[in-house]
Amino acid sequence: MAEPARKAVDGDPIHVDSKRFGAYAVPGERVLVFPEGLIGMPDARRFALMEPSRPGSPFRQLLCIDLPELGFVVCDPEELWPGYGAHLPPYEGGRENLAAMVLVTVPANPKEMTANLLAPLVVDPRTRVGRQIVLDAGRLSTRHPIFPPEDAGGGAAG
Amino acid sequence: MLVLTRKLGEVIRIGESVTIRVLEVKGNQVRLGVDAPPEVRIYREEIYGAIRKENEKAALREGDPLDEASTAWQNQRGKR
Repeated sequence: MAEPARKAVDGDPIHVDSKRFGAYAVPGERVLVFPEGLIGMPDARRFALMEPSRPGSPFRQLLCIDLPELGFVVCDPEELWPGYGAHLPPYEGGRENLAAMVLVTVPANPKEMTANLLAPLVVDPRTRVGRQIVLDAGRLSTRHPIFPPEDAGGGAAG
Repeated sequence: MLVLTRKLGEVIRIGESVTIRVLEVKGNQVRLGVDAPPEVRIYREEIYGAIRKENEKAALREGDPLDEASTAWQNQRGKR
């Protein structure tokens, strides 16, 4: 518990047994470590980013190794909102060395899916250490619609 | 709760490394300057609360949200 997981450890694959997501193994070199956990979830520190489930879909699963029943749908914000990367803060390792993903909330009606653009997860792919950061941009929302709202007031402009 | 009264420019220190200075008082607004080491995360409470709540909502529910999301994506794409 107390080990300061500043860097992901290479080595044997980690086997996870989840009731919800089944049993899976994560190679040590693919484990993403969030030393501080996520905001409000300090124990969610090690994650596995799964391969896309379907070709053509921007969504992937991010499964928590420490809390095996916890998982998220994530996407690459740059793919859906080109230019998003400009909101990311400067990074000492170079901004191009920072991979960002955003958490997607999938409600009962998936047409109303939203993404948390205000608080992306950023990971340095070289160390695989990440953090959920809060961007300073006033226009970014924790609930940004994935699909533009249909007939918002009858006849969307543009 | 510890309650302290401070004048403009005065400081509260929390532990060894965090200080909060009153920079400006205007009507019902107070501007504060916080100095803290980078590992101390500083949030506006309402923003922290909103993100925490959204993280909980984003945590996968029962069913197969990933599949539903991908299906919705392909359907919306197909419309355009």
